[in-house]
Amino acid sequence: MSEMLLPTTTVGSFGKPDYLTKARAQHGRGKLGATELEELERKATAEWIKRQEDIDLDVLVDGEMYRGDMVAYFAERLEGFTLGGLVRSYGNRYYHKPVISGKVGRPRPMTVSWFEYAQSLTDRPVKGMLTGPYTLLDWSYNEAYPTRRDAVLALAEIVRDEARDLERAGAKYIQIDEPAIHARPEEIDIAIEAMGIVTAGLSAKTISHICYGDFAAIYPQVLDLPVDQLDLAMANYGYRWLELFDRNPFTKELAIGIVDVHAHDTETVEVAAEGIRKGLRYVSAEKLWPHPDCGLKTRTIEESVEKCVAVVEATKVVRKELAKVAA
Amino acid sequence: MKTTVIGAYPKIGDEPSEQELRRALHRHDRGELGDSELDAVFDDATKAAIAEIEAAGIDVTNDAQIRWDDLLAPFARAWSGVERGPLERFYDNNTYFRQPVIKDAISSDGQTLVRDYTFAKGVAKATLKAAVAGPLTFAALAQDEHYRSFEDRVLAVADAIAKEMRGLAAAGARRVDIEDPAVVASPRHIELAREAYGRLAGAAHALALVTYFFPPDAILESLASFPVAAIAIDVRSRDTTAFERLDAFRDKYVLLGVVDARNTRVETAEEIARYAERALRLVPEDHLRLAPTTSLEYLPRDVARKKLAALVEGARLVSGEKVPA
Repeated sequence: MSEMLLPTTTVGSFGKPDYLTKARAQHGRGKLGATELEELERKATAEWIKRQEDIDLDVLVDGEMYRGDMVAYFAERLEGFTLGGLVRSYGNRYYHKPVISGKVGRPRPMTVSWFEYAQSLTDRPVKGMLTGPYTLLDWSYNEAYPTRRDAVLALAEIVRDEARDLERAGAKYIQIDEPAIHARPEEIDIAIEAMGIVTAGLSAKTISHICYGDFAAIYPQVLDLPVDQLDLAMANYGYRWLELFDRNPFTKELAIGIVDVHAHDTETVEVAAEGIRKGLRYVSAEKLWPHPDCGLKTRTIEESVEKCVAVVEATKVVRKELAKVAA
Repeated sequence: MKTTVIGAYPKIGDEPSEQELRRALHRHDRGELGDSELDAVFDDATKAAIAEIEAAGIDVTNDAQIRWDDLLAPFARAWSGVERGPLERFYDNNTYFRQPVIKDAISSDGQTLVRDYTFAKGVAKATLKAAVAGPLTFAALAQDEHYRSFEDRVLAVADAIAKEMRGLAAAGARRVDIEDPAVVASPRHIELAREAYGRLAGAAHALALVTYFFPPDAILESLASFPVAAIAIDVRSRDTTAFERLDAFRDKYVLLGVVDARNTRVETAEEIARYAERALRLVPEDHLRLAPTTSLEYLPRDVARKKLAALVEGARLVSGEKVPA
């Protein structure tokens, strides 16, 4: 993969099929057993692996058919967390915000069997997908630890153990998402320190996805985040973060969001390709990874596929242009 | 020791019986519920929220902002010249707001909140206050395709807010909270904010400049000269030197945000009383009010109820005790 130009990937989540959405609701009401639900989650995962191969994405994800929320999924499986009451995120959307009510601990791996299953279905590499320690803290209520830093560092050890287990299970790419990293720019050092604990000693390529916030407030300090690749929403922001790279050159691999995941309409291949060309002004083609801005879980399956197709087709257009220049 | 609330109250609770509004909005989205039926559900939810705030023993309530999707939404929807843009995270919260996009000169009929205020006045038994978004916050969080400078934008927003406040005053509102976290989030704009507040002065009787999320440390003394009757400050979200400097507000009321509205750990009455007593070293008792740090909507509803109960209990503890000089 390292010699490939413009490797394509996605951020992690995809739209769930109706049968799974219904099954999850039934499970929530106690009307469907855990085994039956898992069967459907595996079915949906297999369907998404197949779709990603058909679309011709290079580095795949398991699609997170078994997750609702990227923090609650882990909180439900960790010691020290309880699931809080409903809190509104926007409009009429609510979620159970987790509460850190005691010392956190990981009784057993949380994502490894899903990684193994997804990887068993394809010859293409599948990314291991984790939520980073700073985001786990920031999106939970902390009742247990005296300071935010204490809580983040305790969570970092847990995420580190999970990342090591993923690597042992064969993951060549491990993504540790920190969408909350710019929540408090004055705490960027804590997020960096915690990520250092997570990625120390890993040989897998490490990636961190950051989205929806003031990226300018943490740039260029975020270049010290100890991961190989930063994965950024760009299309939704009109690529304005790229201008930051004029003053302080970008030093990592860049996964560049070239389609907006919150719009129902899909960008044309030409618009998406222009996004890649913008990125190429700052990052070489070996280090630039085209992908959608963010997870696609809020889109339908059809919309998710359309967005990914746009990414892959746009990449093919730009790869051809690069080949011409090289020839 | 009087108590009040800040901003929005949780719109639903965890019990199915507390989720009528959520169900109604889904049905409205699917076209199964008409606008007037949805309005009735909004009104019921407003009434229930005000009743809960009153039942906790809070002295001054608001209308719980049940119809507000976010702090800016009522204004972004109502004002001409403004459209609604993409979702953005609201400061350091995992809560979103829709970014207003200013396309043309902003204008308002000043009636945006009058209907809700009038309804709340009909059901509230406690003293009722109104609330508006602050001009600096609205302007700072908007995308602007019209005004030539940030200054022009802030002052245009201030004029529109002033019109809303005059509308509210005509409907009987005597107290208005101006929720303006940007004043403390971006202290470099303090002089521009002061100019904007000059345009709000006199638009209603008793104005409170409500800050939250960030401490006022960099600009505390400047805030004291704003043309408002009260200043609300959040003394819990971050470390602050405010307790040592509250005498700057000697001719104002201080609404002290002592109950952390962004953490589920419920404070004890003693803890709340200790915060109040620290403030009382520099603020006369009749000028101090206790409040949550910000909107209780960042909490599940059952926790919000417990937080209000703790707030009232803490305030009573202060009032019942002789405060050391």
